Amino acid sequence: MTSAVDPTFNIASSVAAKPDAVQAPTKVKVEGLNFYYGQNHALKNINFEIPEKRVTAMIGPSGCGKSTLLRVFNRMYDLYPGQRAEGQVLFDGVNIVGKELDPTIVRTRIGMVFQKPTPFPMSIYDNIAFGVRLHENLSKSKMDERVESCLRKAAIWDEAKDRLHTSALGLSGGQQQRLCIARTIAVQPEVILLDEPTSALDPISTSKIEDLIDELKQDFTIVIVTHNMQQAARCADITAFFYLGELVEVAPSDVIFTNPRQIKTRDYITGRFG
Amino acid sequence: MSATMTGLSGDGVQAVSIGAAKPVGRLADRVFVGLLWGCGIFVLVLLGLIIAMLFHGGLPAFRAFGLDFLWTATWNPVTENFGALVMIYGTIFSAIIAVVVALPLSFGIAFFLTEIAPPVLRRPIGVAVQLLAAVPSIIYGMWGFFIISPLMAAYVQPPLIEWLGPIPVIGDLFQGPALGGGMLTAGLIMAVMILPFITAMFVETLESIPPMLKESAYGVGATTFEVYKNISVPFGRTAMVGAIMLGLGRALGETMAVTFVIGNATRLSASLFAPGATIASTIANEFPEAAQGTLKLDSLLALGFILFVISFIVLALSRYLVRSNLKS
Repeated sequence: MTSAVDPTFNIASSVAAKPDAVQAPTKVKVEGLNFYYGQNHALKNINFEIPEKRVTAMIGPSGCGKSTLLRVFNRMYDLYPGQRAEGQVLFDGVNIVGKELDPTIVRTRIGMVFQKPTPFPMSIYDNIAFGVRLHENLSKSKMDERVESCLRKAAIWDEAKDRLHTSALGLSGGQQQRLCIARTIAVQPEVILLDEPTSALDPISTSKIEDLIDELKQDFTIVIVTHNMQQAARCADITAFFYLGELVEVAPSDVIFTNPRQIKTRDYITGRFG
Repeated sequence: MSATMTGLSGDGVQAVSIGAAKPVGRLADRVFVGLLWGCGIFVLVLLGLIIAMLFHGGLPAFRAFGLDFLWTATWNPVTENFGALVMIYGTIFSAIIAVVVALPLSFGIAFFLTEIAPPVLRRPIGVAVQLLAAVPSIIYGMWGFFIISPLMAAYVQPPLIEWLGPIPVIGDLFQGPALGGGMLTAGLIMAVMILPFITAMFVETLESIPPMLKESAYGVGATTFEVYKNISVPFGRTAMVGAIMLGLGRALGETMAVTFVIGNATRLSASLFAPGATIASTIANEFPEAAQGTLKLDSLLALGFILFVISFIVLALSRYLVRSNLKS
């Protein structure tokens, strides 16, 4: 295919279209990023910027590299030998890709929620407290406060408050996913990565999570990978379209879904392939 | 019934009544099903007969000594006075030593293999662990007798007796002459023997943990050890307890290797270094000298029955625990 068209596409040029959507400082800046699974070149020279306290969606057909990029952001690829990233991901100006920074530090600043709910095999309370205890030494009352505020923020407090000390595995799928979001924000990250967070959920749970994303962007920078184009249109301020490991187009969501610049993007969002 | 069924072929062709039709190969199928039933029942009958034989054979001993047989520490063929306490104690205690020693090693090997080992090393170490299970019991016995016992007598037991012996209570475990054999040596040999089984089941359990669950724990900033301690082990807890019980079950019944090193003394002693006996080693040692119809033979059979009951309880417990984990 043709090389990524206009990889240096500047969000600022479209600010006029929807000023409030993108008028924010850059939180994460991806510069010349290449990623390899062994010999497989999965991400090819990616350049783009993620604005602070906005929702950035990454869309594209399966295998296009969007989840891979997410896993670069919190260094999850470090767990697997043979996977490597080249280039830079600047988090507040500091490169987080590369050996010099400890991945556990990156991961506390950049949290992640997965496709399927992954409650830890412990109580609801401990699911939240687990990550906090790793990094902070809170008193019992402070910890109670933290747990409550995170569960409230994740809109699951009312359902969970009477069973805090029962196993998290007893919650429904949608509740578990909100618990996972609560658990992620409990370690007070600045960026939250959501990897298809609603793909395993029913429509009602999905809409709850989407409402939650809207709430959370007041405090956090959010990056969401989704297969659901409506979801990207509903939730995201910025949308980036990936195809075969390349970033094809990135623009404010209302632009990309109504008036995409690239033919590939248009074909994808109108359902002509993918 | 057949009258109404003929109506099914409505196109005029005279079909055989469905009630009268004979399927092809019916007899063969019946024989086949019968054989399968036979195979299934055979296991039950075999097990039942073994239990019945052991119990029946041991009954005179239970009659002669009553339940006192279980907690009498004498084993005197001359006066025909028998009790199982020394052997029951030796069996359980040496098996527990084996598990206590094998457990941390198994944990370490299993976690290394699943999480840390580079793929190049994973296979050789995995195969080496499996090969440990393929070494015959008698080889372990010889190894224990000729290599480990002298080493224990020379380098391990004397300093332990010297340093820990004088301490009250704990010191009781480290008394007596450094003979090399005894409960601890037997436990160590058995630890090596049950290590591959426990490790294999741990590896299986650790591999069944969803990667995403581990990634989520890494995702909140946990280190490898914290993920292991807080996620992997609790997730596989029941299956791991099951694996431990399975190892315990094997250690309880182990005969040859233990007979070589335990010392075969039917005396009760708290010391880890004193010679002792297990049920299996006693039976192996004394069976050839037990004449038909003597109380000694009856007592040995009763011992076998007790071992069977102990092993059965341990294995049943392990099955239950492993299964309950797989369900959730």
